[in-house]
Amino acid sequence: MRIVIAEDSVLLLDGLTRLLEAEGHEVTGYTTADEVVAALGPDDELPDVLVTDVRMPPSHTDEGLRAAVHLRSLHKKLPVLVLSQYVEQRYARELFAGDVRGLGYVLKDRVADVDEFLDALGRVAAGGTVIDPEVVAQILARTRRSGLETLTPRERDVLGLMAEGRSNAAIADRLVVGLPAVEKHVTSILTKLDLPQAADDHRRVLAVLRWLEHEPTNGERP
Amino acid sequence: MTSPTSPGSVSDDLRVVAPAFTDLRALAAAPVSVATWRGISQLVVGSVVLLIAAIGLVVALSLSLSLVALLVGIPMLVATLWVGRPFAQLERTRLEAQLAVEISAPTYPRRDGVWASWWAILSDSRTWAHSAYVVVAGLLLTVQSVLVTVAGGFALGCLVYPVIAATNGLTHPPFPLILMVPAGLACAWIAALATQAGSLAIVRVGRSLLGASARAEALEAARQAQARAAQAEGRAVQLTETRTAAVGAADEERRRIERDLHDGAQQRLVALGVELGTARRKVSSDPEAAAALEHAHREVKETLAELRDLVRGIHPAVLTDRGLDAALSALAARSPVPVRVDVPDPPALSRASTSAQAAAYFVVAEALTNAAKHADAQQVTVTATVSPDALLRIVIADDGRGGATATPGSGLDGLRSRVAALDGTFDLDSPAGAGTRLTVEVPCAS
Repeated sequence: MRIVIAEDSVLLLDGLTRLLEAEGHEVTGYTTADEVVAALGPDDELPDVLVTDVRMPPSHTDEGLRAAVHLRSLHKKLPVLVLSQYVEQRYARELFAGDVRGLGYVLKDRVADVDEFLDALGRVAAGGTVIDPEVVAQILARTRRSGLETLTPRERDVLGLMAEGRSNAAIADRLVVGLPAVEKHVTSILTKLDLPQAADDHRRVLAVLRWLEHEPTNGERP
Repeated sequence: MTSPTSPGSVSDDLRVVAPAFTDLRALAAAPVSVATWRGISQLVVGSVVLLIAAIGLVVALSLSLSLVALLVGIPMLVATLWVGRPFAQLERTRLEAQLAVEISAPTYPRRDGVWASWWAILSDSRTWAHSAYVVVAGLLLTVQSVLVTVAGGFALGCLVYPVIAATNGLTHPPFPLILMVPAGLACAWIAALATQAGSLAIVRVGRSLLGASARAEALEAARQAQARAAQAEGRAVQLTETRTAAVGAADEERRRIERDLHDGAQQRLVALGVELGTARRKVSSDPEAAAALEHAHREVKETLAELRDLVRGIHPAVLTDRGLDAALSALAARSPVPVRVDVPDPPALSRASTSAQAAAYFVVAEALTNAAKHADAQQVTVTATVSPDALLRIVIADDGRGGATATPGSGLDGLRSRVAALDGTFDLDSPAGAGTRLTVEVPCAS
């Protein structure tokens, strides 16, 4: 794969470059968001995936995120994995406002867990959705929807993993249960929350996220 | 020696300096009473003192008033009036020593600066009263001297003449001897009563012109109280400002440390984790090396997690970048106990100052830690609102076992101080067995 990385810490950029090159990828690194935006103009050849840090010079706030949102509006199909020192629901909402395919938002520290990072990178590059468990936990803490209490604790776990963008197989793997059990839980959750049965994972993520972030109307109990 | 009377009512003064006017026995004993002889000594010394004072005052006043046009007169007038103060002290002391009455000293207004202090002397009614005393007391003593001298001299003459006449055999008295004794005695009484009446008069004049005046005292006391209140108010404003600045500086310092740790140690550790992870993937052929690398990798990841917690405890970057609302979500997401965050109006929270938001954040962090660690809670609710009167209000309620206290040195106690430093309130309601409810209010502007 051809990978572009925007990361202002040279040390980490070097480490990631070495890691990804060792995995057989072609890596181009930039240390500011502006450079990446300039390098990925409308006529430029796009990489297979863009990895960008959120906090970057000059203001060290959310340059990386704004670059990611900008590039996604420019190149609808560009897969982007956003790394952040902290994850935040509203950043996630901004990022996942449109198409969630080929988008990831994870805590930067998780990069140190190389296997997980490579897995997330691969899923995003393949058009999947990766949302950090902490973002999902935040969304769950802030949801004002009723209906969650009808889920069993196991179903809640499965809902969380669904919101993270994991496939049924990945959920089964994570919870150390069989695939049929996960499928049964998923069907139960979708029925209880009145969500449509979705064939592909990204549409399922979208449905779950929209459901969780939906503001209750007057008829609903908060 | 009679004890000096303190407040100085007319009846007290009468009893001490003019007892002849109070009862018949004292009237009968008037010419030989202590009060009369004290009065005479006062009259003698006072006449001398006031004669000198009157001459000095007249000379100094006329001189300075005539020179006012040349401006030199003004400091001279100020000096003349000012001399009246030690003179008044001298007179009060003299009257106390000679007549056994105490006259309380007035409080003179004090001002800083040359012109203000001059004006304070020129505009002080007490100081002018001291000059008036010289005139009034001078006239009084003059009249009294004439009266007492004439009546006393006549009494002495009438009483002594018959004795001289009897011994020397004088035969032509100026008027009948038989009348001389009663006339002499009457004059002796007149002289004694004039002495006592004069003593009373000078004490009363002294009280009103040398002593403290209730009205002036009250005015000066009010002025001083006002000055002290203004000073205290200024000090309170200054303390509030410096305290706010100190809290702000502490928060700023925390943010700097957080940034330093993030840019330094955290990035290096992540990079190290990546390096170790990369190495692990390469050396899978050598089991021993792989095990060592795996161990090192795990250590780095754990250190990273610890460092992340530490940095969040110092100052969470999400709070700086995204504000309290986002930071509360992050706290809730990390809590092992399910947390419901209720922020009805998220943009309103940004009206609170960074110090207020930081205090609120750490209060919630500590309350959530306690709910999970000690309260055995199943559910926590965090509500954050801003009231119409600009108070950031945070309520953290759990369904745990209650009984929480902010014991000195505890995390909650530290937070109470932090909230107090922002003029906030901290209310911990935690009855045993009935959950814990912590309500914190911090002014948005703090």
